[in-house]
Formats: sequence, C-alpha cells, structure tokens
Amino acid sequence: MNKGSDVTHATVDQGAVLPATRAVVLNGALRGDETLAPIESMLLELLRETGAGVRDFQLRDIPLAHCQGCFECWLETPGLCKVDGDAGREITGALIGSDLMVLLTPVTFGGYSSEIKKAMDRSICLVSPFFRRVGGEVHHKRRYRHYPALAGVGVLREPDEEQERIFGTLVERNALNLASPVTAVCVLPAGAPPTVVRERLAASLEPVLGHLARRVA
Amino acid sequence: MSARRAVLLVGSARPRGTGNSEAIGSYLLERLAEGGMDTEVLHVSRTQRPEKERQLLQAVDGAELFVLSTPLYVDALPYLVTRSAERIAAHRTATPVPSAVGFVALVNCGFPEWEHTKTALEICRVFARQSGFAWMGGLGYGAGEAIGGRSLEEVGGLIRSLRQGLDVAAEALLAGRPVPEGAQALLARPMVPSRLYTVLGSIGWLRAARRKGTLGKLGDRPLE
Ligand SMILES: Cc1cc2nc3c(=O)[nH]c(=O)nc-3n(C[C@H](O)[C@H](O)[C@H](O)COP(=O)(O)O)c2cc1C
Repeated sequence: MNKGSDVTHATVDQGAVLPATRAVVLNGALRGDETLAPIESMLLELLRETGAGVRDFQLRDIPLAHCQGCFECWLETPGLCKVDGDAGREITGALIGSDLMVLLTPVTFGGYSSEIKKAMDRSICLVSPFFRRVGGEVHHKRRYRHYPALAGVGVLREPDEEQERIFGTLVERNALNLASPVTAVCVLPAGAPPTVVRERLAASLEPVLGHLARRVA
Repeated sequence: MSARRAVLLVGSARPRGTGNSEAIGSYLLERLAEGGMDTEVLHVSRTQRPEKERQLLQAVDGAELFVLSTPLYVDALPYLVTRSAERIAAHRTATPVPSAVGFVALVNCGFPEWEHTKTALEICRVFARQSGFAWMGGLGYGAGEAIGGRSLEEVGGLIRSLRQGLDVAAEALLAGRPVPEGAQALLARPMVPSRLYTVLGSIGWLRAARRKGTLGKLGDRPLE
C-alpha cells in the first residue's frame, strides 16, 4: 500500500534511527500516464534533503472507495470515514500526522486528476462540521491542533496559462479550507529535463520546503 | 427535424432522489422540457461501469445540451464527476464529434457564499473547451444544503431567487444562447443572512448528533 517510500515511522532499523514521516506525497497519475514519475523522483529527493521522512502513495494502485457524501465522518464516527477496510483511514491519518502534504497530479481541466480527487474528497473528516469565518467567507473549524502545509505540483502536457491559474487558485482554496499554515504551487511541463524540474521545484516549493526543514530541525 | 435533446448528469454521490444537485438540475430540466426539449437524467454514481459509461457518452454526443448539476467537493468537482469528465474528454478528443453540443454547469455548495463554486465553474469551462463543447455558461449556488434534497417547488419561497435564476437560464438556453449574467445575480442572493445560516447549520449538526448518540464526540480527534 505504501509504494516507493523509503521511510515511514521513527523506528530503529538495523541500528539506524530512521526519521519520522513528516511529508506525504499523493501521486495522482492516471493509469498509463508515466509523465509524473521523473518529477516524483526529483520531488522525493528534495523532500528527503530536508531530513524529513517521506511517505509516498501511488493512488492508482491503492484500493480507495469514493466519498458517498453522507457526512457520517462528522456525525456517526466523528473524524473517521465510516468506510473501513480500504486505504482511506491510512491516507487521512498520514496526512494529518505530517508537516507537509504534496499533491502531485496531471493538471486536469485546471484542477486535480480523479485519483487525487478521490483521496481529497475523503479528507473532510479532518475538519469539524462547525463553522469559522475567514475573510468574510464561511469555512469549517479545525478539528486538529496541527495541520500540514500544502503544496500542489501540477504537470501540464501543453502550456496553458488558464489552467495554470486555476490550479494555483484551487491549491490556495484547499489550503484555506484545510487550515494549512503554508502553501506552494508548482506547474511543470511534462517531459521537462531533470535540471529544469529540480530548479523549478526547488524555487516554487521553497516556502513549504523551508517549513518542513524547520519542523525537522 | 430531429428533436432537441437535453441530458442532465447529476454529480452527487448521494442516492437517487435525495441530493440537492438533483433537485436543482431537475428543475432546470423541467423548464427545458416545457420549452419543447426531450430530456434524460443520468447519475454519475451509476455511469462508472463500462457499459453505463458508453450510454453516457452516447447520450452526451446525441444531445443539443449537456447539463451537469453537481455539488462542490473540496473546492472542486467531486471524484465521480472528475472521472466522468476525464472519460468524456478522452472520448471526444479521440473520435470525431458528431455535432455541436452545448454544455452548462450548475454547481452548488454547502457554505452560504456561492463564490466557493467559482473554481469548480472554471474547471467546467476548461472541460468544455477541451472536450469540444460549446460553453453555455455556469451557475454557482451557496447554501445548497438548505434544499434538503426536496424539489425546488417544495422548498418554497426561501429559494425563490434560485428558481427565478434557473428560469432565466432555461429561457436563454432554449433560445440557443448562453446563460446570461443576470441569472447568476439571482442565484447569488442569499436565502437567509450568512450568520443565520451557520447558526441554523450548527443546530442541525447538534440535533443530528443527538439522534445518533454522538453529541459529545463531534470534536473527536481519532487520528491524533
Ligand atoms: C466530500 C465533501 C466535500 C465538500 N466540500 C465542500 C466545499 O469545499 N465547500 C462547500 O461550500 N461545500 C462543500 N461540501 C458541501 C456540498 O457541496 C453540499 O452539501 C451540497 O449541497 C451537496 O449536494 P448533493 O446533495 O447534490 O450531494 C462538501 C460536501 C462533501 C460531501
């Protein structure tokens, strides 16, 4: 279920103390799309350089039911989706226990892929059903004391300014609703050379990488 | 001349007959039917299997107007809608599109301000562009939960401006025009002041929790 990650929890493994999971990457590539893989490798490298343990979910390979819109995660089993037996609780648990969540996705009509949406729709159990006001708008109150920073890394097959702008707005809006303390957005062209990918990721994600490094220190 | 046809796709994951998106979409569809269009209603939760998906693709390709009525999930379109949109776009870019089809999006959300739906409406516009639909406009509606899954007529005077806005939209769509801005202005009118809505909403959660015996647990932190 936890493919491609090097480290999960602070455990002693063959004499070495492994760092605790501080960053979670949700990879939302659809089946057959391999354009995200080289970007993901670079992203994981940057995250690990902060000293953080990283957990990486390949969503397309993970059994995950879609949200049924029933709000039982607020009423019947507060804080938990009523669906047990799939990866929902594991993913939401990893997200809320982390300092940074990264949504890696093909930019899909300006938004996230369906794989990312499936996981994100299941995340409403992380907030309270009650309300708070932010900038004249209603949002949900926090459930937890600590929320992760949020980064969106979008991959575009062709340049598209409109989609880039919408993607940025969506990440910002999610950060507001999920009470994320720091946000960053990076949109990359599919097939970009590794040096460009590294440079652009490092520059765009600087605020959240800095946040992560401070939490690790 | 072949009949004019409108297809409604309901984007809610809730069971048929219980969702707010269905109530809003059905109201618009009824106005279109009164204006002489043939109509068909499909539910996104029932169009995920391959044979049902084929039906959806055929219905959309054969329509004059494709209407999506959906809830907002986490600031965007729900998973099921996003997945269907991916499949429709892939289908319509891979095969020659038989005829011009218009696409209109209705997005309702739980918070009282309709502005929360803006990003999802923009996503719908890009979906239309990438799938070869003529963008006929989008409408956002806040406080959708107040509909309670009832028909808009049943909800009554509280949502009069929602019905009026949908009437204006239907009139334009029947005339082959995009939804005019005035329709959104009508949907933007709050049914009750925002603070009252959140107070009533909170009372609603507390009552529901009391019925379920979870009143003292609503703030639980099971994942901490
Ligand atoms: C998983 C999930 C996420 C939601 N996210 C939002 C949101 O980001 N903003 C909002 O205003 N309402 C949000 N809502 C509320 C729904 O949009 C609202 O309840 C809507 O009226 C449901 O429509 P339906 O009955 O057709 O499913 C969310 C609901 C669910 C179940």
